[in-house]
Amino acid sequence: MAAGAADAVEFQPGMRRRRIRWRRYIGLSIPALIALVVIIAGVFAELLQTHDPEFIDLGARLSPPVFDGGTWAHPLGTDELGRDIYSRLLHGARVSLIVVGIVVPGAALFGTLIGLVSGWVGGMTGQILMRVVDLQLALPAILFAVLMASLVGPSLTNVIVILLFWTWPSYSRLVRADVLSLRERDFVTASRSVGAAPWWIMRKHLLPNVLNTIVIVMTLEVALVVLAEAALSFLSVGVPPGTSSWGRMITEGRDTMNVAWWPIWLPGLTLLIISLTGNLMGDWLRDALDPRLRNLR
Amino acid sequence: MQFWSYLIIRFVQAVFVTLLVVTIVFFVSRTVGNPEETMLPPLTTTTEDKARFRELLGLNDALHVQYGNFLLDLAQGDFGTSWRGGGTSTLDAIGDRALNTVKLGVAGVVFALALAVPLGIIAALRRGSSVDWLARFVAVIGQATPSFWLGLMMIFFFSVQLGWFPTGGAKEGFRSLILPAIALGLFELVAIMRLTRSGMIEVMDTDFVRTARAKGLSERTVIWRHGVRHALLPVVTMLGLSLGRLIGGTVIIEMVFAWPGVGRLIIDSILKNDFPMVQAAIIVLAASIALVNLFVDVSYRFIDPRIRTGAA
Repeated sequence: MAAGAADAVEFQPGMRRRRIRWRRYIGLSIPALIALVVIIAGVFAELLQTHDPEFIDLGARLSPPVFDGGTWAHPLGTDELGRDIYSRLLHGARVSLIVVGIVVPGAALFGTLIGLVSGWVGGMTGQILMRVVDLQLALPAILFAVLMASLVGPSLTNVIVILLFWTWPSYSRLVRADVLSLRERDFVTASRSVGAAPWWIMRKHLLPNVLNTIVIVMTLEVALVVLAEAALSFLSVGVPPGTSSWGRMITEGRDTMNVAWWPIWLPGLTLLIISLTGNLMGDWLRDALDPRLRNLR
Repeated sequence: MQFWSYLIIRFVQAVFVTLLVVTIVFFVSRTVGNPEETMLPPLTTTTEDKARFRELLGLNDALHVQYGNFLLDLAQGDFGTSWRGGGTSTLDAIGDRALNTVKLGVAGVVFALALAVPLGIIAALRRGSSVDWLARFVAVIGQATPSFWLGLMMIFFFSVQLGWFPTGGAKEGFRSLILPAIALGLFELVAIMRLTRSGMIEVMDTDFVRTARAKGLSERTVIWRHGVRHALLPVVTMLGLSLGRLIGGTVIIEMVFAWPGVGRLIIDSILKNDFPMVQAAIIVLAASIALVNLFVDVSYRFIDPRIRTGAA
């Protein structure tokens, strides 16, 4: 992604000597700050926690958060088993970080490559590649997840494999649609007629032109992947019991939803804020990467 | 002529994809679980009972023989008999539930499209207007909200607190459908709206739109004939793409709202080790998704003439 972004910026002539306009970075600061907090929370969960996230304390069941009449012993309250919600949220952040960190770049790289090749090469190879893409699309990830979970039991590895499997075809299909359109355009034909190598055309003509699409899709995907992990865990086919995940916390808070708001609201709001952050950063990145869109504003 | 041969080739491909899914599902599900352990009462069952049971279900045959018989049955329209509920035909059970899932899916998409396309177009044409800001607000919030959490919250507020809608099930017809459809459609709404908006902005800045304006076409013609038609191209792709996601979504939403659809049937059947039911349901779903993808690819040719038939 970083290499692609650098290419796209370089690709626009006259951009290199532009003054840095600090005002443009204001929109990035808040999401970046939240992302930083989440990363710190996930990485240093053990240092920041106040309790073992899975420690059951039935004496302290459903203790409210400190701002709703609770005590500082459990700053964000406890769930129906007396587990500390603050500590569980920290460890949930780690699960989401791991999943997003592997799934989003992995799927984008692979999906884009397949999309570029199948769109450009066409013919038999392109057809076979697109049938593989269709196959992934024809088997809904959740069904696949349930099958996998019953085969080897729910696990984090499962979640990552399933989400990789689930998300890469989106890039391929959209990139291919763009490439099919682009390859008929004059500047590509011109390049081809003067003998440009296919990989050169892909890198210099196709990739910069599909980058907008890829960034928009990756934007959607960060949030999507976080939410998908939560959804799988919500259906008990994601991370195994005994692991703190925001999705699991919501399932577990469901039964006490009518008497205690915090066990279900806190992980829900956390999920909402995290995916909001991902989307806002993606939007900012898109505006920064695509001068054509930016000038329209 | 060229179009028809294209259509036939794509149809064969769709069948091939479905067959691959059938194969994967068959081999994965046959290696999971141990039906005679999970289905017969543990204490009173003798070894002979188990053997008879395996024989009866054909589980003693080699895997490839089971697979061959399975494909043969499928070809004859026999999707197997459920191992639960006194030998109901799986296809009948799915048929009973399918309409509910289709209803939920269609309601979700209709809700999404009806709001997303007009909002996206207006937001693109009047950038910076209040509609644009509303669209962005809806997009930002809607995209970030987990559907199952939203579903639970809506149940809590609108069903439990206010009592406007039932808390679950499909017994009250249209009233039962509203909350699940919103929870299901919200994510698609945002995706469609974003694509419509960005597509519209992009196309309205292209040379052919400028040319269309320059030759004196009315603004309405420019927007509809040149703009919207072009901007809807990625939306069509997106809709095709989201079908798998939508079906996945219905599984979640059906679990949240106790909606009696195919998704819930599958999850319940997997928990009960009811292999024939799972297989049949996944095959039916996979086949319908393959068919819709086929339809999307074909409609592509009409919307974007730049794609040469047969070149792809």
